Amino acid sequence: MEKSSQGADTILTFRTLIICAVLLFVTNTVQAADQLLYFEAQGIAGYSSELRKPVYYSMNPDAEMQKPSVGFDYLKRFSGESGDWGTFALQARAALTINGLDGANGIKWEPQVYNAYFKVKTPGPYVWVGHNRPAFGLGSYFDSHGLLLRTLAVQGFGYDRDWGGGLSKDFSWGDIAASLTTGSGMPVYTKGNSMAAARISYGVLSQDNFNLGFSLGYGNTLDTMGYNLLDQKPQEMRLAGADLTILRNSFEHRFDVLTGTWLNQDTYALMYRLGFNVDPEGRLKIEAQPTYWKFGDEKKWQAAFCISSLVTSNLTVRMMYQYDHNRSDNSVVLQFYFYMPVI
Amino acid sequence: MNRKIKDFPMIKHIVLALFLVFAFYTAVFGAVGCDLNDPDRDVARLFPESTGYKTIYTSILKKGGETLLTTVETRLGVKFQGIYETIDVPYTIYEIFTNKKKIGYIHGVNQKGQFGGIQVFLVLNLEGTIRGFYIQKMTSQYAGKLRDQKFGKQFIGLTIKDFANYDAVLGKSSGKVDAIKNPAPEAEADFRAALRATKKNLILMDEFVLSAQPVQSSEGGTK
Repeated sequence: MEKSSQGADTILTFRTLIICAVLLFVTNTVQAADQLLYFEAQGIAGYSSELRKPVYYSMNPDAEMQKPSVGFDYLKRFSGESGDWGTFALQARAALTINGLDGANGIKWEPQVYNAYFKVKTPGPYVWVGHNRPAFGLGSYFDSHGLLLRTLAVQGFGYDRDWGGGLSKDFSWGDIAASLTTGSGMPVYTKGNSMAAARISYGVLSQDNFNLGFSLGYGNTLDTMGYNLLDQKPQEMRLAGADLTILRNSFEHRFDVLTGTWLNQDTYALMYRLGFNVDPEGRLKIEAQPTYWKFGDEKKWQAAFCISSLVTSNLTVRMMYQYDHNRSDNSVVLQFYFYMPVI
Repeated sequence: MNRKIKDFPMIKHIVLALFLVFAFYTAVFGAVGCDLNDPDRDVARLFPESTGYKTIYTSILKKGGETLLTTVETRLGVKFQGIYETIDVPYTIYEIFTNKKKIGYIHGVNQKGQFGGIQVFLVLNLEGTIRGFYIQKMTSQYAGKLRDQKFGKQFIGLTIKDFANYDAVLGKSSGKVDAIKNPAPEAEADFRAALRATKKNLILMDEFVLSAQPVQSSEGGTK
């Protein structure tokens, strides 16, 4: 069984790489000005005091977040004679999982898909289908793809990306968004699972320097980590959340709180991220983030500290220290993130 | 739990690596594009008579490489520097339409401000005359004054010719540009940044679109 699973992983990895290669070939020959393609690669290495050994992931070897990987980020706009009408986005990478939790390091390649959606402009809202952000909380608009610090969705309360569809509409005072997704995260399962979410926010961040959002979510969702299904049965989800972002001078404040039922457990979780841009170009940033949650009987808190530096035109280096209270784990992770325009 | 750092050999390597990174910190560049936050809403607001827009991506690297970069820097009067001004920075140009007829452009640039990057968008007619000025991103506590329409109106009707004598280093000029008043004296750095960004924006649009010069081949440029 394990052998066939590894075989399937290998096939998926090759499929992802082939798609990547085809896209690179096609886009290079077309050379149109309505598309962007970026190559990305990252290296991750750290140390865990709990494991007393080096680690090569930012969160968990089974989770989909930062691991040594190579991939691409592609965006294409579709236009008619009177303007744009659609956008296609595809962001994928092949990640190297080095699992050292149980003694000897196990190594495998894994394809990971992040953005994979088609968005259409209608007379009313934008409508998207594919793999995109559910309309819940800070993670619904804040891009955490390359970041070491985790939003609540990345931490496991919701999904950073999910398969399905959604719509959004911007107004002068803020925006509204709704989504109906599978409630499974990166993998697609049909076990009666679904997740409906909606968010309304006040303030346009890039103009007003603040955004206050309220979210509601309802459904039956699956407990997954990366591509692994942890429980076959969908569990009840009923969540309400609020998030707030404030930008002022060199400081960034981000709050996210949610409460209700997640995976059939009474849950509340909150995080606060304080960021300080050291220089006027944002090349060096210092961030601190405490996170606390109660999930069923489990209470837990973490504190993280991160330094990010844009070192060259394409290379960002981040270092995160994190203390996990329940595991009494002190960990340090260093990330080299390379992101280069191809076209 | 009372372990010392010598118990964490990997930490020493990480700290050393980070030290080396920051030691070379002065050689910092980065490719950062500049898009409208919400094009549908912003285009309709900035160009009320528009019915649609097309999004075009370009860069100095694509359009002319090092030769074009030198031209732009010469016209600006100062070398490009930092993460907002690398040769491969993607620029997003919005072509504005009324039905199928093109009626103008919206183009934004990133610029180093007092407390971080600011984004200055110009609304241009087909001849390159400013018909709208819009600061999108600015985190300064005085951002409201520089985003105010009264400030933006001072730019309407100006062209690249008006900015030709603007000294982007000293922040001095003559004529119409000199008449632009700073609504927030406390934010002089951001005011100057906005003017420099405006001149840079006009030059780039002139080179990319308005002057319609044939693309020059050069080392580093795409064909």
